[in-house]
Amino acid sequence: MSADKTGKPAMKKLAWQALVIVLFGAGLGLAANLISPCGIPVVVRPTAGAPEKYLPLEQAAQWWRQGGALFLDAREPADFAAGHIGNALNLPAQSFAEHFWELAPLLTPDAVIVIYCDGSECELSGLLARRLREQGQTRVHVLFNGWTAWRAAGLPVTMGGRP
Amino acid sequence: MDGLARGGFASDHGRAAMKTRLVGGRYLTRLLQLVLGTVFVVAGGLKVANPAQFAVAVGHYRLLPPGLVNLVALTLPGVEVLAGGLLLAGIWRRAAGLVIAGLTVLFFGAIVSALARGLNIECGCFGTVHGGRIGWESLGLDATLFGLSAWLFGRLKNDSAG
Repeated sequence: MSADKTGKPAMKKLAWQALVIVLFGAGLGLAANLISPCGIPVVVRPTAGAPEKYLPLEQAAQWWRQGGALFLDAREPADFAAGHIGNALNLPAQSFAEHFWELAPLLTPDAVIVIYCDGSECELSGLLARRLREQGQTRVHVLFNGWTAWRAAGLPVTMGGRP
Repeated sequence: MDGLARGGFASDHGRAAMKTRLVGGRYLTRLLQLVLGTVFVVAGGLKVANPAQFAVAVGHYRLLPPGLVNLVALTLPGVEVLAGGLLLAGIWRRAAGLVIAGLTVLFFGAIVSALARGLNIECGCFGTVHGGRIGWESLGLDATLFGLSAWLFGRLKNDSAG
C-alpha cells in the first residue's frame, strides 16, 4: 500500500501541494494586508529611509572632551553595565518608550546627542536616532561601531550599570 | 483531498493485532497535527495582526534588500497560517507538514546567520508577543518544531496518508 505513495507520482503530487500551499498562503497574506486596517505597503521605495551619516570618532572624542554633547548608549542595560563610554547614559532602543521619560529633562531641543551601540551590524543606534528625531531632536549623531571603536582608541570608559 | 478520505484502519490483514497500535498511532499523529497546527496558526496570526511590527523584525535580520522586506513580511505569515490550518483540518497533511518543516529550516538559517553576524535582534518568531531576542532559546524552539514536523511527516508517510 505504501509503495504507490512513496513513488515518483506521489512525490510530484506532494511537491505540487506544497507549492500550492506556499503560493496560496502568500496570496492570503497579501489579501489580509489589503483589507487590514493596519496594512502596510507591499513594496517600499528604496528612498524611504535615507542612510545614516555617521559621526567620525575624532569628532565624537572632541565633543566628549569639550563636554558639550550627551552620549547615549542604545544597548540593553546589561551591556551598558558591562562597560560604556565615560559619562554616557543608557537609553535602550528596544525599550525606548519605557526609558525615554527618565532622560527627557536632558533632551532639550538643541541638545547635541551622540548615539552608539556596538558592532558594525548594530541596528540599535539607528533605531534610537530615528526615535529621537521623531521626538523632535534635530542634532542627533550616530557613532559607527561606537563601543568597540571608542575602546580601541583608548578613550575613557566607565564600568557599572545605570544609577 | 486524501486527508479527508483517510482516517480508517489499515484494511486487510491482522486487523485485530494492528488495531491497538494504529489507534495509539493515530492519536499521536493527531496530537502532532494539533500542536504544530496551533503553533503556526497562532504565530502567523499574530504577525498578520501587526504587519508593520513584523516587517521591522524581518528587516532587522538584514538578509533581504529593503524593497523586499515588506513583501516577505506579508506573505510569510499567510503561508504559516494556511499550512497550520491545513494540519488542524487534516487536509493535505503531508504537504502542510513539509511546508512547515521547510519554514523551520528557513527560520533556523536566518537566526544562525544573524547570530553569526553578531546581530542582537528581536526574534520576531511570534510577532511581538514573544519579545525574546534571537539566541539559544529561539534556535532550540525552532529545532523542536522542525523535529516535530519531520516526525509528523515520517508518520504520515508510514501510514501512507496524504
